[in-house]
Amino acid sequence: MAKRISRRSFLECALAGGAAAGTANLRIMKDAFAQTSKPLVIGHHCDMTGVISSWGVWHDKAARAAVDIINQGGGIAGRKVELATEDTESNPASGARKLRNLIQRANAEFVIGSVHSGVMLAAIPIASELKTIYFSTGEATEATGSKGTRYSFRTGTDTYSIAAASMPWCVENFGKVWSIIYADYAWGQSTNQESRAFIEKAGGKIINSIAVPLDTKDFVPYLAQISADTEVLLPAFIGSLSLGFYTQAKSMGLDKKMKMFSSSASIESIAPDDIQGAAEGVYFFENFPRMLSSKNDEYHKEFNKRLNIDDVDARQIGGQAVMDKSHCWQAWEDLFALKQAIEKAGYKTRKDVEGVIQALEGMEMKNSLGHPQGDKMIRKEDHVGIMDCYISRVTNGKLALQKRIPKEDLLKNMPVRHNLSTMPV
Amino acid sequence: MIVFAAFLLTVPWTIPALINDFWVSVIAEILIWSLFAASTNLLFGYVGLLSFGQALFFGFGMYGVGIGIDQLGLSFWPAFGLGVAAAMAMALVSGIFAVRLTWHYFAIITVVFSLIFYFLAVSMKWLTGGDDGINFTLPPTFSFGATQWSFADPNFQYFFILAAVALCFYLMHLVIGSPLGKAFMAVRENDVRASLIGLNVYLLRLTAFVMAGFLAGVAGALFAFFGRYASATYMFYHVSGEGLVWTIVGGAGTLFGPIVGTTLFIIIREVVSTHWEHHSLIVGTMAILVVIFAPKGLVGLWRDILDRAMAPRAERAVSTEVRTEP
Repeated sequence: MAKRISRRSFLECALAGGAAAGTANLRIMKDAFAQTSKPLVIGHHCDMTGVISSWGVWHDKAARAAVDIINQGGGIAGRKVELATEDTESNPASGARKLRNLIQRANAEFVIGSVHSGVMLAAIPIASELKTIYFSTGEATEATGSKGTRYSFRTGTDTYSIAAASMPWCVENFGKVWSIIYADYAWGQSTNQESRAFIEKAGGKIINSIAVPLDTKDFVPYLAQISADTEVLLPAFIGSLSLGFYTQAKSMGLDKKMKMFSSSASIESIAPDDIQGAAEGVYFFENFPRMLSSKNDEYHKEFNKRLNIDDVDARQIGGQAVMDKSHCWQAWEDLFALKQAIEKAGYKTRKDVEGVIQALEGMEMKNSLGHPQGDKMIRKEDHVGIMDCYISRVTNGKLALQKRIPKEDLLKNMPVRHNLSTMPV
Repeated sequence: MIVFAAFLLTVPWTIPALINDFWVSVIAEILIWSLFAASTNLLFGYVGLLSFGQALFFGFGMYGVGIGIDQLGLSFWPAFGLGVAAAMAMALVSGIFAVRLTWHYFAIITVVFSLIFYFLAVSMKWLTGGDDGINFTLPPTFSFGATQWSFADPNFQYFFILAAVALCFYLMHLVIGSPLGKAFMAVRENDVRASLIGLNVYLLRLTAFVMAGFLAGVAGALFAFFGRYASATYMFYHVSGEGLVWTIVGGAGTLFGPIVGTTLFIIIREVVSTHWEHHSLIVGTMAILVVIFAPKGLVGLWRDILDRAMAPRAERAVSTEVRTEP
């Protein structure tokens, strides 16, 4: 006997069939719409909140400004660029999650990465597994070294290249007897380790190496350990620790007894004028000079204009915030580096990522609006940026240029330690 | 229950079809954090110990895997074993001192242990990678000739995590239903009376503490494999606080309460955090509302509603006592 179809059973079948068809349709149409004319989504893994947010907000501004320029010029390979930004909260746990979010949910095909070392190191294995190129903007050398992969790149410097660029000149010009005082965490420890090797290689010697806990307020017990024989002191602190160090070192008169040299990270987002002369006389490594006059060209000027910062302190015009200029430029330039590589490789879909990797390896970039920091290359073997670097001195509250270190010198001083270009894609 | 199990078993196919692949990894993460919350629940919900030290054991599980693979060159299973063993050993050592205390003194000492090892992990860069942590390349989980299964395959990863978490919850269910579980609850209700009937309160608390360390250690080891990364960030005591909030909101003293609380908060976080960075405010507000209006948590509230609906009218008036499993 034929089973009678009731209204209820008909509705049940119709709903079930509709749901099944809809689900199948989602899968089929997902591929059907995967056309290359759609916008190219680039992710920005950005430290908008948390401990390093005073840098992250500038990276966000720089990336947005760069995308505007790229889109005004016709996008990348004719495709409009959409920037998908996720806040890492300056936290590796959140950062790892947000990276998956960018790649799997926002469909980012390339990612401009975090400046927080822990976040970027947590991100690289995930980005590599999801076959997505990830540009680090922080200084942990492992990102393009022992922990690097075929997918990890940087246009900027790391603790290894900073030491390689600066130490030979510093030892020759400042003195051979050094002490290092550093924040006792990964970046400080890495700066200590890399600088020590290059100081000794240049004929210098380290007589003190002093680790300072992160929660230190009173530096006097640590400053008292610095030998009176020290000719050059290398402090490695960031943010409030940096402010505390320079203020207390100044009050103890250390600046009169020895020269001081430090990385740009120690003075990022701080205008020397704002700390009442505490950093006066200190030498700093920079890779994008704070003062326009140190690299005086139209591209640098336009970069400052587009990001609404002044030409002396990199301070927001009409505001108080100071840009982390020696790091922030990477969020801008990485997008133009990707544009160059994507267009060279003829990239259309994710399947073509290997071509972009090959294009990035050894790629040269010319001083331009896209690369206002200057001429540079991404070294093929270790995916690290090779560029001109600068040593400036705080003079009358401004970072005045003392020495430009050509990229050729950096390349010569910095042997390849890890060859990422032979790793599988 | 059957619907829930069927859902979990079909996640790798249904979720990408309905939403996208990203949510499969979110569900895998929910499973791991549920196990972590279950470790808090074992102590707080069944033994009455408010621990802020579970992140320490979670971190030891992570570092056991990270250090095992990255520095000792171990394969998957020995690294997994090292992570769990390290977490249990740490739980035993800290438990010997901690479980002598109760209530706020116990909570404080677990915070102190967590802080000590957090700062040690941050400063020992040569071993732990400092605050940069340790990332590593995944070894295969199973190898048969040329065939390998590893966490690089998202489906395998999901099912491995599901199996490990389900096994741990089953073990916890067995323990709670056993005489040992009854003894735990006796200690929770009144430790003086428990000792008067011959129970060794100190040993019971220490046993629970090590068991909770095992659960947190498995969760930490799984999370290291899931993230391909180990970091001191996860050892900080605020991570323990999150586990506690998930447990309380879901329902302390119930087997599935931690899963409900963890699921709720992680989904809120994933949905809201893309649009609003202050999503923790929602978490805080919900936690306060649940504590005030549903002190037995969401699972307890659900059971009360069911009890009221099912029970004869005359019995409804007396069904307000605190209910715990089994």
